[in-house]
Amino acid sequence: MSLFSEVFVWWGGNTWGTRWYTWRHGKRVGEDSQGNVYYIQRKGIGPLGKPRRWVVYKSYAESSQIPPEWHGWMHHTVDTLPTDETYHPRPWQKPHRANMTGTPQAYRPAGSILASGKRAASDSDYEPWQPK
Amino acid sequence: MLADTDRIFRNLYGREDWGLEGARKRGAWDATKVLIDKGHDWIIDEMKASGLRGRGGAGFPTGMKWSFMPKSDPRPSYLVVNADESEPGTCKDREILRHDPHLLVEGSLLASFAMRAHTCFIYVRGEFIRERERLQAAVDQAYAAKLIGKNNVHGWDFEIVVHHGAGAYICGEETALLESLEGKKGQPRMKPPFPANVGVYGAPTTVNNVESIAVAGDILRRGAGWFSGLGKPNNVGTKLFCISGHVNKPCTVEEEMGIPFRELIDRHAGGVRGGWDNFLAVIPGGSSVRCLPASLCPDSLTMDFDSLQKLGSGLGTAAVIVMDRSTDIIAAIARLAAFYKHESCGQCTPCREGAGWMMRVMNRLVEGNAQKSEIDLLFKVSKQIEGHTICALGDAAAWPIQGLINHFRPVIEARIDAAQVRRQAAE
Amino acid sequence: MPKLNIDGTDYEFENGTPLIEACGQVGIEIPRFCYHERLSIAGNCRMCLIEVVGGPPKPQASCAMTVNDLRPGKDNAPPQIKTNSPMVQNARHGVMEFLLINHPLDCPICDQGGECDLQDQAMGYGIDSSRFIENKRAVEEKFLGPLVKTVMTRCIQCTRCVRFMTEVAGVEEMGAISRGEDMEIVGTIEKGLTSELSANIIDLCPVGALTSKPTAFHARSWEFRKTESIDVNDALGANIRVDARGNEVVRVLPRVNDAINEEWISDKTRYVVDGLKTQRLDKPYIRENGKLRPGSWDEALKLVAAKLKAAGGGRTGAIAGDLAGVEEMFALKDLFARLGSTNVDCRQDGARLDPSLGRASYLFSSGIAAIEDADALLIIGSNPRLEAPVLNARVRKRWLRGGFTVSVILENADLTYPVQYLGANAEGLAAAAVQAFAGKQKPMMIIGGSALARADGAAILAAAAKVALTAGVVKDGWNGFNVLHTAASRVGGLDIGFVPGAGGRDVAAMLNGGVDVLYLLGADEIDLSRTGKAFVVYQGTHGDAGAHRADVILPGAAYTEKFATYVNTEGRPQMTSRAVFPPGDAKEDWAILRALSAEAGQTLPYDNLSELRAALYVKFPHLAALGTVAAHGSLDALAHLGGAINREPLRATIADFYLTNPIARASRTMADCSRARLGAVEPAHATVQRLPTYQSVGSTG
Repeated sequence: MSLFSEVFVWWGGNTWGTRWYTWRHGKRVGEDSQGNVYYIQRKGIGPLGKPRRWVVYKSYAESSQIPPEWHGWMHHTVDTLPTDETYHPRPWQKPHRANMTGTPQAYRPAGSILASGKRAASDSDYEPWQPK
Repeated sequence: MLADTDRIFRNLYGREDWGLEGARKRGAWDATKVLIDKGHDWIIDEMKASGLRGRGGAGFPTGMKWSFMPKSDPRPSYLVVNADESEPGTCKDREILRHDPHLLVEGSLLASFAMRAHTCFIYVRGEFIRERERLQAAVDQAYAAKLIGKNNVHGWDFEIVVHHGAGAYICGEETALLESLEGKKGQPRMKPPFPANVGVYGAPTTVNNVESIAVAGDILRRGAGWFSGLGKPNNVGTKLFCISGHVNKPCTVEEEMGIPFRELIDRHAGGVRGGWDNFLAVIPGGSSVRCLPASLCPDSLTMDFDSLQKLGSGLGTAAVIVMDRSTDIIAAIARLAAFYKHESCGQCTPCREGAGWMMRVMNRLVEGNAQKSEIDLLFKVSKQIEGHTICALGDAAAWPIQGLINHFRPVIEARIDAAQVRRQAAE
Repeated sequence: MPKLNIDGTDYEFENGTPLIEACGQVGIEIPRFCYHERLSIAGNCRMCLIEVVGGPPKPQASCAMTVNDLRPGKDNAPPQIKTNSPMVQNARHGVMEFLLINHPLDCPICDQGGECDLQDQAMGYGIDSSRFIENKRAVEEKFLGPLVKTVMTRCIQCTRCVRFMTEVAGVEEMGAISRGEDMEIVGTIEKGLTSELSANIIDLCPVGALTSKPTAFHARSWEFRKTESIDVNDALGANIRVDARGNEVVRVLPRVNDAINEEWISDKTRYVVDGLKTQRLDKPYIRENGKLRPGSWDEALKLVAAKLKAAGGGRTGAIAGDLAGVEEMFALKDLFARLGSTNVDCRQDGARLDPSLGRASYLFSSGIAAIEDADALLIIGSNPRLEAPVLNARVRKRWLRGGFTVSVILENADLTYPVQYLGANAEGLAAAAVQAFAGKQKPMMIIGGSALARADGAAILAAAAKVALTAGVVKDGWNGFNVLHTAASRVGGLDIGFVPGAGGRDVAAMLNGGVDVLYLLGADEIDLSRTGKAFVVYQGTHGDAGAHRADVILPGAAYTEKFATYVNTEGRPQMTSRAVFPPGDAKEDWAILRALSAEAGQTLPYDNLSELRAALYVKFPHLAALGTVAAHGSLDALAHLGGAINREPLRATIADFYLTNPIARASRTMADCSRARLGAVEPAHATVQRLPTYQSVGSTG
């Protein structure tokens, strides 16, 4: 994202203030599969009494796109970085997907006319006769 | 001890000819015509006076049962003889069918005449193949000798139909027997109406045990007084006792009613295996009565309907099953529970569902694989069955288990404790 | 009148009342599973145990004892029973526990849930937890045809189904095999049940062992909107309850009416309703260049009106089908009269019935319930098993009681009771009747469609009436001269005179070029190939034969979608109720005719159904007395008709019981039944997964 657009598009990636703060205090610790970059406070402690941890999103700032392994680290649930973990996902685990609510990819339950544009079959339906 | 002259079944052991000639030598078919000429009511009154109680297990007075038959009814009357002897431990009717069938044939004629029936059905247990052949042969002999049949010498047209069952215990229950006889599934009927009102083919019917009918001839010939003079008051006459189990010489023997239990065992069965100190328990009346432990069988215990009933057991069919101390009494009763589960007809709910439940709990008790609280559960389940069923099979299934729990609860508890110790050791 | 003391209060009862009924009459409900007042008594569920004071020291089954079986107490005090003593409570708790130990806990997925006797009674007599820790029993499913689904593990062996099939339906196709806890209810042949009443066992089953196959897992009993109505699949007018959810009729259940159907209905009555959802006419169609195209009501009505006016009175005709209600036939007749046409006919099968000979000439005069009083029956040209199965069950019920002879003039058919076949030739019917009724007090005749729908139908009917008057079939206090109709609309149509007036044409005359405009009110069972060049208007509900031939289609309402009067074969007017609305643009039939009359310039003088009925009742007051049978006059006019009967044998009218009307022909379930009856459906047991058999724990047996 260009420096110029950061002035106007504050809802995606850095703002100028964040960029300055990150340059001053942040230490880059890793990047997730989505390209989001994670930082930790280089020196001192944050408001929680621990070094602060933050993320700079690659694109649109939507917190649900943080995958579960980084989510644990971000919330101080674990201190080991996911990149240092030896964890291998099970074959049946699906890749992480952000919350799609409010987007065209949002989940539509079976029968939702927003999904197919067609009304689901109902018990009150009937088969009309069609002349040949 | 019964004098030889007072015996009714003089060929119980088959040492003599079973046929018509032999039977005549022993007194059967003697002066039957004279008895019949005395009339229907005389026979019934004589039977009533003799005090004979039904030998099939319930002990209902036979003469009274005959008198329930309607005297004037447009429908035909029937006599049905219950030879479906299936009670575990019982083997008396079998001996009669094998060795003295003419007593039964003659008794059938007299009983049918008394209740104005021209037809008698004899329902023979399915497993009794040879016995049925023997009985049929005796019936054929009687037909050939014009003792029965149309225009017979007795002046009372009389047919005997020997019907062969298919081997179901429940068909020994009188109404189930009638259903089976009619060609339907052997399931007991509701009472009322009683068979004396609506029996086989909807006609008045009396169902009697083989032994009750077979003794009728001798009672009538020798007089009611002779019969009622034997035995104890209200429990008169002679009775076939079938002694089996842990005795030295198992046997079937005709004895006076009310004979002391220990005398019966010592004199006829050669005593308990290993002596009376080795005696554990006895089932005095066939599998469906409660067992009695040694402590409840003193010298004074007599074998008759009333005194056994006082002890919470019963004379039943007088099938005495003796068990010595080598017996696993829990396993023995569990085997009976399996029998009743297998023989339940499935018609009414408590017996159908309860018999299987009891069997399964019993099987676990044999191993000790249960909680002590399940002993009480088992007892309650047996009480839930008892008295709530159409026929008495539910009661019969419940009583052996109730007897076991009443008298041998410490044995069951010890078994459970031992199993628990074993399990803990294994862990 | 025996007296009885129940729970401390003295009551008096009719002779022979079972104790369970006696208690019910005074408001004490006795729980029961196997007892059913219309079946024989089995006494095997043991749920109805009560205590007889002074009787045997164990509880007694109240279903198997009558109030006469009890002996009075001391000083002739009435016998005393207790229905709520500790003994009774214990017994019922015990029986309930036994019933539940091997009953699966699958109420949440069971179709019977919510209307299950076991569920309800477990609330009253069950224990909150189970003491049974052994394995439960599992039972293999059985195949009972396309209507009855089985989940036999739920069965409590009450044998109601066995008794129903044996006693009422009259086909011994169910039974119980094995014994003890292995006892199973089975169909004795693996091809399904062959009775027209088989689905009644679904209602009888007190648990979810027998449930409805076509509607399995479709709805729960508490979701329905329940509408009390009348069945129109035969001329019996069985009382039904229509259960609908949304705008869908899900199921039909019988209502109790001892005068008509007791509490049974035929399989067709019960399962024809899925035909209400298929092949529906939901918008008007107009034929253009040989093809039907959807049109608007306005357009269609204008076209029909124009054609009617152009053809002129004498060249128009109307035929009412078998499912038409009295109201629409009345409106149609009225409209045609105003247009100057007397060419109307409700006898689409050509039955030679003439309402001018009096109502007695075409009614089931004795009434259906009177079958139970009859002592001899002569059936002429009718197969009641197919034409009115519930009525046939009544005949069988009478036969079971004994002292009842049935003779039949028709081809051989199994009527579920023995009959004497007198051949299919109707010539000798008078002699046959005299012979069959000799020495009988209450003889009865049933004359059916096979005898009426032929050229000499009137002669056969007249001959029957003549012998009826002389052979004691009709006399003081007894009228056993009965016509059995197959069409629900027929008696209503005859009652309002929906037959050709003076110089009018009947169905046969209308068909062979007799009219230029033919108006079919749901009439499909006529030979439409003979309509020739006539302009055919079809007003109806389903795309059946009539719709295919039609030049204009006006979509109407089926019997569950309108309030309409039907007069049953006894002459008893009854009314259907609307359970759901007609689909799409379809309208109630009388309203279509009212709109058409306005277009045709002959506006009918009623704007709503009440006004129509008011006009109807002025002319035919007996139709206002719903549920009752009006007096029906004498047979004399019919008997004097005379005529020659030809030698042609009578032929059965119903080829396939399941496909007799447009709704049934649209129903998948009925099609399945029809195929199954022809033996085409394979038993489903091949696909049923075999459940593991019951494991006994360390059996010593």
